[in-house]
Amino acid sequence: MNTINASHKPLRPQVSVDVVSQFSWGLTTLFVLASTCWVLLPYTGYLFSALVFLMAIVLARTRCNRGPVLTMAVVSALVWNFIFIPPQFTLHIEKPQDIIMFAMFFVVALSMGHLITQLRAREEALERHHREREQLLAAKHRAELLAESERLHRTLLDSVSHELKTPIAIIRTALDGLGEGNPFAAEIDTANRRLQRIVENFLEMTRVDSDALKPHLEWCEIGDVLHAATTPLQHELSHHPLVITGTEALPLLMLDSRLLAQALGNVLHNATIYAPDATPIEIHATLENGMLEIRVRDHGPGLPLGTEDQLFDKFYRAPDSPAGGTGLGLAISRGLMRAMQGCIEAQNHPEGGAEFRLSLPVKTRHV
Amino acid sequence: MSKALIIDDEQQMRRLLRMVLESRGYEVSEAADGQLGLQEAAFQRPDVVLLDLGLPGMSGLEVLKRLREWTDVPVLILSVRDQEGVKVEALECGADDYVTKPFGTAELLARLTVIQRRRFTRQSAEVVVGTLKLDLLHHEAFVETAPIKLTPTEFALLKALAEHAGRIVTQNQIIRQVWSGQCSDQSEGLRVHINHLRKKLGDTGPRIVNEPGIGYRLESLADQAHPSETVR
Repeated sequence: MNTINASHKPLRPQVSVDVVSQFSWGLTTLFVLASTCWVLLPYTGYLFSALVFLMAIVLARTRCNRGPVLTMAVVSALVWNFIFIPPQFTLHIEKPQDIIMFAMFFVVALSMGHLITQLRAREEALERHHREREQLLAAKHRAELLAESERLHRTLLDSVSHELKTPIAIIRTALDGLGEGNPFAAEIDTANRRLQRIVENFLEMTRVDSDALKPHLEWCEIGDVLHAATTPLQHELSHHPLVITGTEALPLLMLDSRLLAQALGNVLHNATIYAPDATPIEIHATLENGMLEIRVRDHGPGLPLGTEDQLFDKFYRAPDSPAGGTGLGLAISRGLMRAMQGCIEAQNHPEGGAEFRLSLPVKTRHV
Repeated sequence: MSKALIIDDEQQMRRLLRMVLESRGYEVSEAADGQLGLQEAAFQRPDVVLLDLGLPGMSGLEVLKRLREWTDVPVLILSVRDQEGVKVEALECGADDYVTKPFGTAELLARLTVIQRRRFTRQSAEVVVGTLKLDLLHHEAFVETAPIKLTPTEFALLKALAEHAGRIVTQNQIIRQVWSGQCSDQSEGLRVHINHLRKKLGDTGPRIVNEPGIGYRLESLADQAHPSETVR
């Protein structure tokens, strides 16, 4: 409210300046016309000047508001009476028809002034209306374009996703048909899983980049989130004991468990790559002041110094990372956390190993 | 011998699925699009349908809706999509379960077996899922013959899950069954009761597995013997 008042204040003097200039324009015009008519009076007669005044009032509508126009009407009536209607230089009128004419002039001038200002106001309203309509139409058009491009994007992503994943699915089913025990089949299977991960990472990165991620919030249990995060990684996590703490005490959380599970899953996958086999991976969850924090600590070599932030950049790969991998996993995690108004950080644990912190604001409800 | 119908536009996928299913004794027919699939379903009267969601032309979802107009044959959805919304919609339109491509053969066959188990028929007053036994007559529940105390809501919830044991049940389906007639949002209550149920079922009872954004699946320990690492 205060800001609105403040912003209006500088306009005030401007408005009054405008009105003053309109008044002075009106009165000056009347003065000029009255002088001209005075000069012409011997040739034209006093009725001519009445019509000139009326015309001036009609023309005044293009630049004056209600007040100045009505003032012009009154002043012109008085001036006409005083200067032009005989006997001149008195307000007294002798002839009855002049009295009637003066009264008629007065009425006509006033009502014309009134009608004209009304017309002007209506025109302005119409123009404003028109402008608003244009703006609305433009906004609608923009929104439609955006929706259309989003739809197109989604369709494209779906169809690329279908094209890339179908062959992978076919290879997977065919390999299952070959049966276990064939070492060549096992190699194809490993490569196929790697391919699947790469394809999924690229698709997910595209989704994260295009802001197509809309978190779908619902009440969740942290245990379900961890289950969803670890299930697809059963194979990788089989070499690392998982130590999960802090989850028992947590209430129900309002969040998108699929997105969080995915962000967490990528961090866990990262840990399984760098930490030596048989070293534990620790997951610790805490809730403080409406912020859920999940810490993932591994017992690997830790992060190379100075890479704590670069780590989350797209395609960034640490200097000594093993072959394979796209450098997208952690970038996706960051994108997902941001989509949920959360964040992700990495640092080296004082006692060795890397530690990732995923935090996000959540509503909670105690069971 | 049970009859299976595969509706998928990928010829290679159909061929592979046919081999997998025939090796398990299914009699297989196939269709490359929705229209043909509906004709085959009417003509062959299959015992189970494998339906790809991403069909060209008539969508898989549309095929499912048309099928459900006249038959309640078990339908397993095959999908490469990650979009949870589509899966939930398919499940609520009457699909029995889904697998996400790429899937393992073992997982596919396990799902097929579960959805083909005759849907719960009310001929018996008992529902058994692994070590869990529900006595519907007396509203009692036992895990390994030891009775567990359940509130009426918990019992209704466990019954809803047990009737579809091994199959995914969407959140809305559970809420409709357990809290029928109450219009307020019960998703929070559902979480709370699931939490209590899990504690009461303990380590020896069947597990209630959550699938984010979709729903719950009651898995007995026997069902868990099947590897399901690609469940996402």
